[in-house]
Amino acid sequence: MRFVKISFSFLLALLSILQVYAQSNADTVRTIKIDVLVGLQFDLVRFNAKPGEMLKLIFSNSDDMSHNLLITKPGARLEVVNQALSLSEKGPSMDYIPNSSSVLYSIPVVNPNQFRTLSFTVPKQEGVYPYVCTLPGHGFIMFGAMYVNSDGKMPDIKDDLNIPPNRRETDHAVSSNQSMKHNEHPKEIKALHPYSPISPYLYRVFIDGASPAAIAVSLTKDLSYCWDAGTCRLRFAWRGGFLDNSELWKGKGDVSAKVIGEVFFRDHTDFPFYLKDRGKIPEYDYKGYSLINRYPEFHYTLNGIDFFELILPKEDGSGLIRKFRIPNVKNTVWFNTIPLDGAIYESSSGKWQENTLKLSASQAKEFIITMSKKERDLK
Amino acid sequence: MKSNSINKCFISVFLLFASAHLWAQKVNQSYRVETITMPAGLTSENGAVEFLPDGRLVASFTRGEVMIYNPLTKEWKLFAEGLHDPLGILVISNSELLVMQRPELTRIKDTDGDGQADLYEKVTDDFGLSGNYHEFNYGPVKDKDGNLFIALNSSSGGGDIRAEVRGEINPLGRDKSGKGQMFSNTPYRGWVMKLSPSGHLEPIASGFRSPNGIGFDLEGNLFANDNQGDWIGTSALHHVVKGRFYGHPGTLVWEKGWNKGNPFFLPIPVLDSMRTRGAVLFPHGIIANSPTQPIVDATGGKFGPFSGQLLVGEMNRERIVRVMLERVGGELQGACIPFLDGNGLRKGNNRLVFGPDGSLWVGQNSHGWLGDQGIQRIIYTGKQPADILSMNLTEKGFDLVFTQPLNKTTALELKNYVFRHYFYKYHSKYGSDQFDVQNIAVTDMQISEDLRKVSLTLSSLKPGYVYELNLGDIKTASGEELTNKVICYTLNKLKTSSL
Repeated sequence: MRFVKISFSFLLALLSILQVYAQSNADTVRTIKIDVLVGLQFDLVRFNAKPGEMLKLIFSNSDDMSHNLLITKPGARLEVVNQALSLSEKGPSMDYIPNSSSVLYSIPVVNPNQFRTLSFTVPKQEGVYPYVCTLPGHGFIMFGAMYVNSDGKMPDIKDDLNIPPNRRETDHAVSSNQSMKHNEHPKEIKALHPYSPISPYLYRVFIDGASPAAIAVSLTKDLSYCWDAGTCRLRFAWRGGFLDNSELWKGKGDVSAKVIGEVFFRDHTDFPFYLKDRGKIPEYDYKGYSLINRYPEFHYTLNGIDFFELILPKEDGSGLIRKFRIPNVKNTVWFNTIPLDGAIYESSSGKWQENTLKLSASQAKEFIITMSKKERDLK
Repeated sequence: MKSNSINKCFISVFLLFASAHLWAQKVNQSYRVETITMPAGLTSENGAVEFLPDGRLVASFTRGEVMIYNPLTKEWKLFAEGLHDPLGILVISNSELLVMQRPELTRIKDTDGDGQADLYEKVTDDFGLSGNYHEFNYGPVKDKDGNLFIALNSSSGGGDIRAEVRGEINPLGRDKSGKGQMFSNTPYRGWVMKLSPSGHLEPIASGFRSPNGIGFDLEGNLFANDNQGDWIGTSALHHVVKGRFYGHPGTLVWEKGWNKGNPFFLPIPVLDSMRTRGAVLFPHGIIANSPTQPIVDATGGKFGPFSGQLLVGEMNRERIVRVMLERVGGELQGACIPFLDGNGLRKGNNRLVFGPDGSLWVGQNSHGWLGDQGIQRIIYTGKQPADILSMNLTEKGFDLVFTQPLNKTTALELKNYVFRHYFYKYHSKYGSDQFDVQNIAVTDMQISEDLRKVSLTLSSLKPGYVYELNLGDIKTASGEELTNKVICYTLNKLKTSSL
């Protein structure tokens, strides 16, 4: 044991001399870049290094919490992590770096959007050298491995016990995806919910092409639509699948839900309804929805008048049936469309004046607008 | 297949290691932790736990589910689905809830009695929503007059605002040059809001970065925890008072009549003079890194001796924190101490609620940060803890009251009371180091006749500092070791004889 200690401190002294030497020859040094992914992970979980090689490690932190990076002796990761934990209240002022012979090199705490570099000489002894963040709690999942050998070999990533379990696959972390493509290899399917969603069902979700207060609804017949509670209108409709939320649910959710399928309608009007004064956008206020046989019926007011809108799939899957109720309407209602919005319109009552449907107060109390996907778009 | 079983084997060994070594836990004989079995298929990232009047637990989850758990039959049932990141529930009745989700506060009701919600009514959405991923919403909690309070997270500089937002945009609420700082480009991000029974939503206090969790104490004081980061040197418990600003600058642009331009560019001393400091600071890496919901122990002793104190969840550790407050110079301040470490408790302790039997239910979450998933329950075994019951500032130092009489010999040793003080800087940088770290000598001490109260005299007391006390090997009269040995008092105001 004693011999080992002496030889190790000798090695350390030698290393620090080499390090000085390395810094003066910085341009010949190979650079390794490590960043941080969401969910306490290094983006690079393993890399090769040659014994005695000089390396420059750039540790950047694009996460929104602070991290450090310690390179430990082979097999000493948990020991160092626990030593860091036992620093207790002294941890912050020591950058969570314990005074330990098992710590070979360290990069102190790097705050979000900062980076630090470390130039060092790779140990001459071949082996697997862990690197780890030792902030409290991080060290048990946030680590990687530097493989020091001259043959440049690393085990198959699937069998690599030196990297976190969730990184032992090349696949994405979330395999659950309702709209898995048929040509993909079958993966372990994880349920999305404690029940199997059966259409119709909905998600309040961030989705492109609507305000952040959007509601995405899956209908039967492979139809879906996005109704926007932020603007009180149907924004777009699509056919094919529903949503892929896997990215949205994976980490912090800085993405939008992905629309699966083909959008066949998008509202381009300045507003779908005018009340009384044609051309004037009414003041809208979202009120909520109730589920009728699981279909949401949206409730909103336009200029203080209650509107109810229930959207159903057309039996042949070619479009949407929109059932409107405006029980207390006292004046004319105009329903606006724009040619080229992707739909053909029919109405249960009222009179079309070019692209605008004019409904008298009595007609507007209850009416249906059917929107079909334009023929030429059908395959 | 082979690699799969190796993986599993490794994971279990790994977990064994992790739990065996973590923070050198002692077995806590006063509290035990039970894990609730979650329904199959549920990604149980918990956003809220509450109890219905009929004794069932209601819980919401990141993927939009609201589920009800019957503690007697241990069965889960779906109540509502499709919500956008529901992070708070207020129970109205067995069939009606208010749920705080991203876009709005929503009334969710089962009107036909089939056990599932069929009405989703907007209660308020009178605040901005830029679609930034960090715009979490918290609450609601209700005061005795029926007002509701919610808290709106600031937006993250790690992301942006969407092409289409809800509400007006004020570019002054962001410092685009300073990378990564949180911001407030749409109304009232970073504010605590009050919703009157008539439905009017009023902004009441600003300056919050990430106030994940709000709650009342028994006297009706409102608290919100904020998370360490830019402008927040270390996480803090804030006493929320109308009209006050708690430190994060971007939020100021939504103050009525704000005319000072981009608040990020005001001199720091100006901002500092405007802000109210945390009533209790949670030293980072020592007490908590990401405190969540504060809940008052209103169990009247069913949960042990800490009745009236606050418990606070911690995301980053297997820990619940305890907070004790007192009024000094007219303001609340006080101390924080770990309440429970490990003993089967997981990380990600995000939501807390007391059950009808006085046990504490804990909902866990990670949401892409450090944490865990699921629901656990902490039960008081009836064995009196060996702990600090309270820490109070005196004119000369601190009084400590313990839950049990102390062993006189160990309690009277001055070396068993090691104080140091430090402060955290108020600046745009992410977090703050501890500054002016100094050991503060205990110059005198007294112990009460019942051996439960120790009065310590310190060589100096300075406002604006955290006083961290590390206890040595003090034993109780019955020879027990103390469960927690570090306690941190936030000294904002000195105690003077006239007050």
